[in-house]
Amino acid sequence: MQNKTHRFSAIKRKFKQTIFVPFILLAALIQPVYAQISGKEIVKKAIDQYRGKTSYSVFTMVIHRPDWERSMTMEVWTQGLDKSLVRVIKPKKDAGNGNLLLGEEMWSFTPKINRVIKIPGSMSQQSWMGSDFSNNDIARADDIIDKYTHRVLEEKKENGHRLYTVESVPHEDAPVVWGKEILTIRDDFVLMDHTFYDQAGEKVKTLTTTSIKKFDGREVAAIQRMQKTDKKDEWTEVRVEETKFDIAIPARVFTLSNLRNPRK
Amino acid sequence: MSNAMLLFSLAWRNLWRNRRRTLLILFAIVLGGWAMIVMAAFMRGMVMQVFDDTIENLTGHIQIHHPGYLDDPVIDYNFSIGPDLEKVLSDSAIAHWASRIRIPAVVASERESVGVMLLGIDPDREAKLSFLEESVVEGKYFSSDEEKGIIIGKKLADRLETQLGRRVVLMSQDRTNQLRDGGFRIVGIFDAPLEMTELSWVFLTRKQAAEFVALGDQLSEISIRLKEPENSEALSIKMSDSLKNLDVKSWHKVDPFLKVMVEVYDSSAIIWHLIVFLAMAFGIVNTMLMAVFERTREFGLFIALGLKPRFILGQVWLEGILLILVGLAVANLVSWLTVLATGDGIDVSAFARGMEMIQMSNIIPFVITQKDLVIANVTVIVLGVLTGLYPAWKASRLVPADALTRV
Repeated sequence: MQNKTHRFSAIKRKFKQTIFVPFILLAALIQPVYAQISGKEIVKKAIDQYRGKTSYSVFTMVIHRPDWERSMTMEVWTQGLDKSLVRVIKPKKDAGNGNLLLGEEMWSFTPKINRVIKIPGSMSQQSWMGSDFSNNDIARADDIIDKYTHRVLEEKKENGHRLYTVESVPHEDAPVVWGKEILTIRDDFVLMDHTFYDQAGEKVKTLTTTSIKKFDGREVAAIQRMQKTDKKDEWTEVRVEETKFDIAIPARVFTLSNLRNPRK
Repeated sequence: MSNAMLLFSLAWRNLWRNRRRTLLILFAIVLGGWAMIVMAAFMRGMVMQVFDDTIENLTGHIQIHHPGYLDDPVIDYNFSIGPDLEKVLSDSAIAHWASRIRIPAVVASERESVGVMLLGIDPDREAKLSFLEESVVEGKYFSSDEEKGIIIGKKLADRLETQLGRRVVLMSQDRTNQLRDGGFRIVGIFDAPLEMTELSWVFLTRKQAAEFVALGDQLSEISIRLKEPENSEALSIKMSDSLKNLDVKSWHKVDPFLKVMVEVYDSSAIIWHLIVFLAMAFGIVNTMLMAVFERTREFGLFIALGLKPRFILGQVWLEGILLILVGLAVANLVSWLTVLATGDGIDVSAFARGMEMIQMSNIIPFVITQKDLVIANVTVIVLGVLTGLYPAWKASRLVPADALTRV
């Protein structure tokens, strides 16, 4: 390294007289290109950021409707991008309801009927646990990395952080109904907001981060709200209570039998 | 011979002795005949329309499937074109045939998802067989196997809140029961007579569909159109003998409702003819009896002069027959003009929802077939001749002394 710098400064010195000024200009032109991180990378890192290699978290989901509101507290285990287990712990009447996600397949378990049900693809657009999230939002969140083309629309500074606005357009044959999605991601890869647009360019729903807290040494979007654009008084909020990253999770956690019979 | 000619001219002249009465009864006969023929044409039009629509609605005259497919139309029940099938399909009675992939799927847009039947079609072959090509009202029909994109119905596009040029996502199970999904751009929107058709079918090229669900060259269905639809049943039996491991069915079996409908029409037409005729017959008998009654003295004189009763009978009968023949001739002419005047058919869109329920479209054409025409005319002539016999018989049985003295 030392050596390299020496050599570089030697070259610089050598050409100082003749081409120093144009060189600086050229460098100024090239420099942002080198510094720039690709849209795809930003999106991928944002997803890694909140999932880690593995993670365990407890969060409360609040479903708000004009005449009622209810909340559920759940535990979530994740491993990589394609394994996760969600289990409701509060309120009591919903406790034990769970979802297991392996790859693109999703199962749900309800202790009241003691049945494991595979969520069919036909329900992928439907609501997840009665919330404003669809099953697809939960199961296929990472599709966005490979099945979209990403482009950084703008970069701006805010509160000492750099914010990237990424436009993600699904590939022609991608199994995605959206026209485009626009994500705002902070330079530490906290997702600030995520808006889904239909193919006419109309906003359909937005996920907004309203609070960021530090958990397990990492800045995490602590409160996120999903809101459909045409229903102003209906929303779902996810509030993270605790999160641990990169912990050891035994393989048996992500099995149908564990979905059905939880073991501590 | 000359007797017959004499009787004929006497009968003809007698008819016009009371012009107003004759015209009135002629009018009744024309009206009755017209009602029979036009109503029959209307009903035939309905039936033919349902028949054609159904046949074109992917039914065809004969269908070939895997034996399990019709009971449970899923991807597992597929087949391929082997040498046996190839030979059967080259039968000279077959006008066109097309192979299809036909499996359940879900189509989703930004706002909705709907369960549909996904059809993978051979664009060229399918165009000769079914409604799709001429029903595409926005965008266009597939021009080749290589084309990408999906064609959906107008109603489905409304339901999904999407439109031409947008992408929708299809989901279905592939051959290994894995869930597959893919995005397809809408390249065409079709407008079918029945809303159900628009809502429940989406079309890809067979190539795209096969790729989508990993079906290779396997098929779900072959649909066949014959040169002569009447041969459907016989040919399907013949084909099924040479295709032991496949299920060959004619439209009668694929769509039993259609079969019943055609049969019900035939019998209800006869009933309708009889009812109209009954009303007509009373008019004819009444008029003829009236004419006989008026001419009682005349007939009495004829008989007294030595005319044989059978000539009296013949003359009066002939009057009745002439009435019916003239009436029918005019009725046929008027019916033909009516059908010509209505052109494409009559618009019943005011009852669109009701018509939809019985699988009919909003415009019903009049269709006069030779068979229906013959049935209506023969019914009237045969029964009319029989009813004309009664007044004629009455006239021939007059006793001269009574008849002449009656005031």
